[in-house]
Amino acid sequence: MNTDSTVPSDLVLLQKEADLASWLAARAPVAIGFSGGVDSAYLAVAARLHLGTDGVLAIIGRSASYPEAQWAAARTVARSFDVPVLELDTAELDDPRYAANPSNRCYYCKTELWSRLVPIARARGFSTVADGTNADDLSDWRPGAQAAREHGVASPLAELGFTKQDIRDASRRLGLPTWQQPSSPCLSSRLPYGTEVTRARLEQIERAEEALRALGIAGDLRVRYHEDLARVELGADELPRWLEPRRFDVLRDALVKTGFERVALDLRGFRSGSLNVLHGVGA
Amino acid sequence: MTQPDRGDRTARNATALAAAIAQLGVQCSLEARGGLVLLLPVKASVEALQSPDTRRAVLALCREHGFTHVGVELPSDRRGAERDADAPLLRD
Repeated sequence: MNTDSTVPSDLVLLQKEADLASWLAARAPVAIGFSGGVDSAYLAVAARLHLGTDGVLAIIGRSASYPEAQWAAARTVARSFDVPVLELDTAELDDPRYAANPSNRCYYCKTELWSRLVPIARARGFSTVADGTNADDLSDWRPGAQAAREHGVASPLAELGFTKQDIRDASRRLGLPTWQQPSSPCLSSRLPYGTEVTRARLEQIERAEEALRALGIAGDLRVRYHEDLARVELGADELPRWLEPRRFDVLRDALVKTGFERVALDLRGFRSGSLNVLHGVGA
Repeated sequence: MTQPDRGDRTARNATALAAAIAQLGVQCSLEARGGLVLLLPVKASVEALQSPDTRRAVLALCREHGFTHVGVELPSDRRGAERDADAPLLRD
């Protein structure tokens, strides 16, 4: 991997892509935990291109914390790029350690995912199981990464130094629709730590975010759940126009219909891992 | 001497914060919820929040007063003059 700062960034990325091709070839066949997000979509399509349909299996874990729209996007990518897909149900909400929503909630979620996915992959002859963790993720609070390690799941994008921007650039070159898709963590990330994760709350959050998308809000968007209050984080381009009272009324009406009594716009706007900051949790 | 509990400190911070924000031309009541503070501006102050400079200044003040997150709950454009009080209020 070449990280020499004097080498043009395009060449650095090309080298990383070549490294990824070698990594995949050396470990084929490869099963991939596939959410349809930017990272795992790129990894799945790259694996399909380099290993063929017999060399890759994209496995989707479905549960209430996985947005329906994300599932549909994942299926679309797989269909468009001829990536074989397997779906399995996960039941992290039935684990009281997960439902209690501690700061290491993701550990229990990923433990549930990998403990179901890895044996299925191995039984089908996939010697390697990988996820879409990227190099930027390594500096964030990611307790789920421990579960991946415990189950022998590899993270080639992180290992080879792919940043999120690298993955977006490479995805764009491959024609992946996900290249400019906002990051899409699970719906439980909208609940402050310590607030119980329930199906009803996840469904409410999903309806709320869908309602805001239906208003034409593009880009990064989160509805943070504070019991009676929805705190809406919008991208920098969207925030100013929704701070206009008439527009705010429209936004509030849309969210009240989904069950929130009160609505506030976050003055700072979208930030990934916002609730980690609220609770002083971090890497 | 007894130490003020966390709730007291939060309330005191919110009171001081409301006064500081008023200096920026934004009259509002505040509601503290742990590290989150909700601003409830009066109608006449909503326009001031359209300014990126004002928003940045408000955020900086909130950080200085110990809040990590700032939400703004605007008065309804349909509900007349509710919350058009002159003085900042504290709700906790």
